Amino acid sequence: MTSRARTLAIWAAILTILLTLPLYAPGYYISLLISILMWIILAVGWIIFSGYTGYISLAVAAFFGLGSYMTVIIWPILPSFPLVIIAGGLASGFFAILIGFPCLRIRGPYFIILTLGLSELVKYISQIYEVRVRGALGTILLGGPSSEVFYYSLIIIAAITVVTAYFVKNTKFGLGLFSIKANEEAAEAMGVDTTRYKLLSFGLSALFMGFAGAVMALRWTYIDPTVAFNPLITFQVTIMAIFGGMEDFRGPIIGATVLTLISEAFGIRYPYHYMGLLGITLILLVKFLPTGLMGVISRLYIRKKIVGALDAVS
Amino acid sequence: MEFGNISAILVMGLTIGCIYAVIAVGLNLLYGTMRMLNIAHGSIIMLGAYTAYWLFTIYNISPLFSAIFAALGAGVIGLVVYKLLFASDIRTAKSLESLEGASLLIFFGLLILTENVASLSWGADFRGYSYLTNALTIWGTPVALNRVSAALIAIVVCLALYIFLQRTLFGKAVRAVIQDKDATQLAGVDTGKIYIFCFVVGFAMAGLAGALISMFYSIHPFMGLPYTLMAFVVIILGGLGNILGSLVGGLILGLVITAVVAYTTPGFSFIVQYVIFIVVILFMPQGIFGRRVR
Repeated sequence: MTSRARTLAIWAAILTILLTLPLYAPGYYISLLISILMWIILAVGWIIFSGYTGYISLAVAAFFGLGSYMTVIIWPILPSFPLVIIAGGLASGFFAILIGFPCLRIRGPYFIILTLGLSELVKYISQIYEVRVRGALGTILLGGPSSEVFYYSLIIIAAITVVTAYFVKNTKFGLGLFSIKANEEAAEAMGVDTTRYKLLSFGLSALFMGFAGAVMALRWTYIDPTVAFNPLITFQVTIMAIFGGMEDFRGPIIGATVLTLISEAFGIRYPYHYMGLLGITLILLVKFLPTGLMGVISRLYIRKKIVGALDAVS
Repeated sequence: MEFGNISAILVMGLTIGCIYAVIAVGLNLLYGTMRMLNIAHGSIIMLGAYTAYWLFTIYNISPLFSAIFAALGAGVIGLVVYKLLFASDIRTAKSLESLEGASLLIFFGLLILTENVASLSWGADFRGYSYLTNALTIWGTPVALNRVSAALIAIVVCLALYIFLQRTLFGKAVRAVIQDKDATQLAGVDTGKIYIFCFVVGFAMAGLAGALISMFYSIHPFMGLPYTLMAFVVIILGGLGNILGSLVGGLILGLVITAVVAYTTPGFSFIVQYVIFIVVILFMPQGIFGRRVR
């Protein structure tokens, strides 16, 4: 078996297990997988822009929350699940492209802190809007689909996100994005249309975050600005991606899975302990493991290959 | 527009502006010399505020006095953070610019850590105490004595640092690092010492600011980030590494925010702050004084 066929077989096996799971697994595992899938969508979506271009965006909560709010607005009028998902994704994607025009000219720490400020701004604006215009804070969303429907739709969205991340990386588009990460001026001089590339991947990454937000709004059944635009969402996604590795889609999948399991095991009961530990983890990761788990794995793998080749020679 | 309004905006704006100035000067010291954007600056402010709060509520120590402890404690934290997290990287890195992104993420981790440890230890409620609440009338506007004294301390500390940087040999070295660190190193200055100084003094000023803020605003574990973002706007306005610019920028921003909030509603205060923040980053990255250090 070639390594490519083996990889495909592994992914097919994982997908088969995931698809048949609701037939025999207890409900708890389904809800656990729903939250893992949500974080996978967000983290893989995040690397499509931040991992590939090196622009660290802390606006995850803004795009996720915007997606949720499309559901809040549309669901009471037109309760169609696919419609709200598509609307949420498109709204976030367009919003990203809109704010991307001015924001993506800014680079480095300015960009990071600008995106953070932007999410806070969106949160406060929606708070003011709810209190002043609608007269009440928070919305209860009733009549959402069953958990199986949530589960399968998140699998579909996650699969699309992963496939997109894969194809973006392995095409001319991805090459352009990585050249921006390596050296933006040089990329521009070589004829890469950096502005369009950045905008497109920023929008693409926001699209998936919007999908996730729109789905989760119905799953959580209650949405207010502090839930939808919670900065913790940004923190967790960033840490998941950095923890797993940001070079391709495998890193964030591993990071999201591991951290969601830890968070389910003890983050719910001890939120402050958990977040404090995440803070320490982030510091240690940036200092000692900047390539993430995938970086370590691939280094070990390469070492094994070299050792094997040396053995074969001698 | 009646006179009462203008005088109220001037008094309230300038007093809060002094606090912004001391926060921004501390942040600018780190950014100007090391190109490190301390996004955890606000968390140090929060720790300083809690220091003053606890010393006042438990031992009844005046916050004017405990501000010294807050500053010293924050300075020690700065020293530890520098030694533990940055000293080795700075020595080995080819350029400080290459550390910009990584250092921001490290500070981000520090921010999450301190905020959550604080919530864990002290709860996430708003807290406050009253001290020196008797009013003073300035230009026809009654203003609490605690606010005025906090502003005075803040401005004195800023000016003292400015004079220190202008008048002493060490201060000259700091300013040289701000202008061009490679050339300064070539001229034989031990930049490591300068970095330690900036970390300790930068953090100490944040701790002091926190103690001062606690005298007239309520405090909570997540209070820091808006101050950090404000300080960031101030250092952009005033110019990166420009200490006097930060001072003036702080006063201007204090006035602008107070005026805007006075003519809209207090509920808009955060929105106004973030809108100013975004507009300044996007459209005035060189600052109003226009001196680009980089």
